[in-house]
Amino acid sequence: MISLKVNGRNFSLDMDPDTPLLWALRDELDMTGTKFGCGIGMCGACTVHVGGRATRACITFIRDVEGAEVTTIEGLDPQGNHPVQEAWRNLRVPQCGYCQSGQIMQAAALLRDIPDPGDDDIDAVMTGNLCRCMTYPRIRNAVREAATVMKGN
Amino acid sequence: MVKNVLLTLFCLAVLGSGGFAVIAYRSEISPISASDLRVFDPEVVEQGRLMAAAGFCAECHSVPGNAPYAGGYAMETGFGTLYSTNITPDPETGIGAWSEEAFLRAMHEGVDREGRHLFPAFPYDHFTLMTKADVRAIYAYLMTEVEPVAASVPENGLPFPMNFRIWQAGWKLLFVDLGRFEPEPDKSADWNRGAYLVEGATHCGACHTPRNLLGAEIRSKDFGGAAIDRWIAPALTADNPAAIRWTAEDFTEYLKTGVTRAHGVAAGPMAPVVHAGLQKLPDNDLKAIGTYLGDVVGEPQSEAEIEAAIETSLRAGRPSTGYRLDLGERLYASACAACHYNATQIVPGRPDLGINSVTRLDAPDNLVQVILNGVGNEEGMAGVVMPGFRAALSDDEVAAISAYLRASRTEFTPWPDLAATVSRIRNSNAH
Amino acid sequence: MPKTQGAILAPDLTRRGFLVAMSAAGAAFGFPRVSGAAQIFATSEGGSSSSDQLFEPSLWYTIDGEGRVNVNITRAEMGQHIGTALARILADELGADWEDVQITYVDHEKKWGGAPTAGSRSVWSLWSVYRQAGAAGRMALTQAAAQKWGIAPEACTTEAGMVTGGGNSIAFAVLVAEGLSRSFTQDEVKAVPLKPHSDFRLIGRDVAALDINDKTTGRALYGLDAKVDDMVYAVPLIPPTRQGSKVISIDDSEAKGQRGYLRTIDLQDPSGIVPGIVVVVGETLMAAKWASELVTVEWEAGETGTVSEDDIQGLSRELIADESKGTLLDTGNFDTKPAFDAAAEVVEAEYTTSTVLHFALEPMNATAFVNDAGQYEIHAGSQWPALMTGWVERALGVGPGTVTMRTYMLGGGFGRRVFGDYVVAAALTTKSLGGTPVKLVFFREDDSLIDCPRSPSVQKLRLALDAERKITAMDHNAAAGWPSYTVRTEADMAKGIDDKPYDTAGISGADHWYDVGAHRIRAIANHLASQTVRAGFLRSIAPGWINFAVESFMDEVAHKLGVDPVDFRLAHLRPEGRNAGEAPHSVGGADRQAAVLRRVAELSGYGRSDLGPDTAIGIASTYGQEREMPTWNGTAVQLRVDRESGQVEVQKLWMVIDCGTVIDPDGARAQCEGAVLWGLSMALYEGTSIESGQVYDRNLDTYTPLRMIDTPELQIELVESTEAPVGLGEPGVTGVAPAVANAIYNAVGIRMRHLPMTPEMITEAL
Ligand code: FES
Ligand code: FES
Repeated sequence: MISLKVNGRNFSLDMDPDTPLLWALRDELDMTGTKFGCGIGMCGACTVHVGGRATRACITFIRDVEGAEVTTIEGLDPQGNHPVQEAWRNLRVPQCGYCQSGQIMQAAALLRDIPDPGDDDIDAVMTGNLCRCMTYPRIRNAVREAATVMKGN
Repeated sequence: MVKNVLLTLFCLAVLGSGGFAVIAYRSEISPISASDLRVFDPEVVEQGRLMAAAGFCAECHSVPGNAPYAGGYAMETGFGTLYSTNITPDPETGIGAWSEEAFLRAMHEGVDREGRHLFPAFPYDHFTLMTKADVRAIYAYLMTEVEPVAASVPENGLPFPMNFRIWQAGWKLLFVDLGRFEPEPDKSADWNRGAYLVEGATHCGACHTPRNLLGAEIRSKDFGGAAIDRWIAPALTADNPAAIRWTAEDFTEYLKTGVTRAHGVAAGPMAPVVHAGLQKLPDNDLKAIGTYLGDVVGEPQSEAEIEAAIETSLRAGRPSTGYRLDLGERLYASACAACHYNATQIVPGRPDLGINSVTRLDAPDNLVQVILNGVGNEEGMAGVVMPGFRAALSDDEVAAISAYLRASRTEFTPWPDLAATVSRIRNSNAH
Repeated sequence: MPKTQGAILAPDLTRRGFLVAMSAAGAAFGFPRVSGAAQIFATSEGGSSSSDQLFEPSLWYTIDGEGRVNVNITRAEMGQHIGTALARILADELGADWEDVQITYVDHEKKWGGAPTAGSRSVWSLWSVYRQAGAAGRMALTQAAAQKWGIAPEACTTEAGMVTGGGNSIAFAVLVAEGLSRSFTQDEVKAVPLKPHSDFRLIGRDVAALDINDKTTGRALYGLDAKVDDMVYAVPLIPPTRQGSKVISIDDSEAKGQRGYLRTIDLQDPSGIVPGIVVVVGETLMAAKWASELVTVEWEAGETGTVSEDDIQGLSRELIADESKGTLLDTGNFDTKPAFDAAAEVVEAEYTTSTVLHFALEPMNATAFVNDAGQYEIHAGSQWPALMTGWVERALGVGPGTVTMRTYMLGGGFGRRVFGDYVVAAALTTKSLGGTPVKLVFFREDDSLIDCPRSPSVQKLRLALDAERKITAMDHNAAAGWPSYTVRTEADMAKGIDDKPYDTAGISGADHWYDVGAHRIRAIANHLASQTVRAGFLRSIAPGWINFAVESFMDEVAHKLGVDPVDFRLAHLRPEGRNAGEAPHSVGGADRQAAVLRRVAELSGYGRSDLGPDTAIGIASTYGQEREMPTWNGTAVQLRVDRESGQVEVQKLWMVIDCGTVIDPDGARAQCEGAVLWGLSMALYEGTSIESGQVYDRNLDTYTPLRMIDTPELQIELVESTEAPVGLGEPGVTGVAPAVANAIYNAVGIRMRHLPMTPEMITEAL
């Protein structure tokens, strides 16, 4: 049995401890907002927060997150209105949308550590998140907009 | 080849000491039964719990997934595989039949209840410095708080003739000063407390001091850094290559939390030392350890030097649009930078690889270990994990990332044979 | 069949309780999984109607008693916000309040027409259909109101969900609630007058796209999110060749030790769509995956097991050299021989492109099962469900109507989800499992191996100049694997002047709007490419690589003649003859291409000399996808070449695009942004090769599409127009690669004739 704490709730999973967190979330806990893209930590579609830090769930085993706090896109904000999500909607960032949970989780983690990111900072931190629809210009603007809003608060 | 030389040296050393068998002889101490056990003062038991944590006894005397202290943990030594013993109070397979006197003798002299010399993988060369009161407290803790578990451990896998325990007596003669810790009168009480803990219970030197060909710590190189379990235990002296020199406060913080802003996290074999061990010590003791190690490492740098080191590291981490030209840099930009990048300051939990010692050690082992296996929640910073790239990246790719970091983040020469090292480490701890 | 393992043992919640609790917290799903496949996006919460009264003026939409307008969308949502665009067209003609509009993505039934979502054709082909439907509804509503008020229907207008006339006004909701039934015949619908452009209230304005919200909360459901009770999981084992592989033996003895392993199945596809694929089934996805690593399959490989990219390109060159091969297109004047015979000078160049992967971020997957009604149900993202159902029926050997597809959001289409092999494989798996629900997931490496990549290509262009150095003729030979072979036979293809079939998807772009005198276009199928990797449709299809040749060549010729490349192009863009264009879609012809070219030159400051060393702007102009639906495109790229490393630093990209009426300016811009960046990615960063019959790059460690840090500043300008709208998803791709190549030439004087243009090639050329 592996106990996981996801979005503030505790779960016990009877799964192989080497199961990637991604599949525990998606297939066992029905939290399908976290996506699968590459499985090797290089697209960011599976990004969740562990202990508040952006973490690629596809290569993170559930045994390694026992006792840690996992947050997924479903739990980023109870109403889905995190300033990053709102900026994403205002600027209509998503195209197919598949990468966007990961982008949003990554951006939220970015703004926590670097509240006023410049272009270099956005390049460095967001380059790990592939968007096949290439919504990058809007992601960049939305990160900036969210930063402004969050600073205001 | 090396092994044969070792063996010869060893035999010569041993045979050279006259009257050896007489000196080596130790008598058995009679077994006790449960009813002989006296009742311990709860404060003593509590003291024992702390000292057991300080010595992280559970780490070596347990196998993950099995009962704590039941032994069986395999230690690869240069001479063969040794298995830790069962130190639960089980009378048959554990230490249930050991009197306090027997336990004291084991800790202080490296001899078991039956009079057999213990292998120095059990660091009695450090524990001998501990006060009787502290050793007795550990005894009290083990005998009263730990569940007895009947569990036999595998035979030690030492080859002939290393398996003769009598040689251990010779080793002891050659390399160990038995006896209690002597405080240095001209140092502070804090320093002396730290020295007592570090040299004794926490036996830091067991990993951080290099060993000679016969496996004994080289006293002239105390805390000079050493390789262990395919990891590097970095030097705790001024030779430590971290870009920002460790300070007393850093050591204290690190041992309390498993992380400092400038030095990465406690991973691999160091993880349980912190998380299952020293972390539990009272703040005063952690501060004392910091004071002592701070003295070992030497003068702290000036603010300006520290600022400059941070500045250099941050600059080296700036993203470059030319990142595709180098495989390692491209992979790093895609898979690592999201968590390791820092903007204008180093944020706790975003280990900056320009000042982190992993990129600066003489060997790449720690960096490769962490890339391959990650850092679980039981390691490093509490609540934070790093995924391992074992299944995601090839040996060449891990080597490329390592080489890129070495070249871009440090002023040191490249690590040789990186891909082979990655392969060796990958195969050594496959699960 | 066993239930899925690993039930949740949350101390205080049952599984059902969990779902409910999560929904209540607003953090889970809007609708149940099995029936929720066809997504509904409402403007507010809740997608379905609570009113019994429904007015259905045509099959395209309904209005309910509360005034809600539900528009049926027959195209797949893959990032282009097509539902929003089509609903807006309809709502504008109807005079609806946008707040009342919701959309439903419908399934593949015949009545919807069964067309694919591909080729940037959706708005182009449905513009009139949705307008007329909206106009018909408006007519019905105004007539009903007029009758009520005793005035002439012509005196009534609609806006924002209200009918107004003679000083009265009434809401659509009230009219519908009072009972309104009127349906129109096709002819009646066609006769209804449409609004003039000046009356548009929604078209051309920014409105909220209806699919965005759920894509920021994790609630949008993609194929991979499908979940059916008691579902098991499967992963494929990919045979050594894409076609013709046969399974000889399967040994799963080692896999039996894997917890959760169920069985290994040789799919045995009679339709030949997934030959040789073996699937490993497990109780969980990872159980299947881990077991698959322990299964040994021996295959007899098909004929393409040793084919390399070089073999394919070599064959293309041979085919081009053999004049008897290929199909000649009707360009009006295709006899170039006299001009070449008489030429004072002939310019010639060969252009090649590498294999390119789709790499849709959501790997291929499908969930299949036999439902309570005994039908095969397939849940997946698809660009062409109508076609795929037919394939599944053939593969399963069942009659028409036995297979239903439920389409989900697509985590990227880009042409990959036109080909339904992943759907067929899932259907065959459930068949072997006796109808048990199974989700078949292609992991990324598998997804790459079964991709229908953009074929490698070879083009040879020739141009005849007379003694005055005027262009008298152009020959264009293009050889590649034709994408349409994945979905149709030669019998269904266009015919050339020699009556031989050809694939427009293998040649569009060659038939350009420049006046070059006689113009001979030869489209050549490279069957080896098709057979080896099932070369398919990839965003911007043929124009994505054909234009690289055309627009590089125009530049080369201009430089050769010592003429400025923009002036040179403008001189040959004359709206005469067949280049004059025709109604409705290409009104203005070459003039409109000249206009965007001029504008992008002006916008970018093309020709400036103050950009610094090794830095220059390059320019290209295309007509997007096809002559029948040209999207006029002018593209400029400013870049610097690092002579040392060969690294190209792209500084800025401009695009001016004329797509006729812009339905959704912000959405159009988004499509253009994505498209130009695709173009840039394929120009510089993306390309794989075929080795031993399979694509070499399979995941992001070696396949390297454009990322955030590679993204240059973009400036995109949409030409204001009242002409009929054409496509936008792809045309933006087409000008980038040649503009980059032309800029590199302008910067450092080397001519790159291969895509992608890698630093190694650039240093070599330098
Ligand atoms: S799926 Fe985890 S990083 Fe790509
Ligand atoms: S929006 Fe489609 S992958 Fe990013």
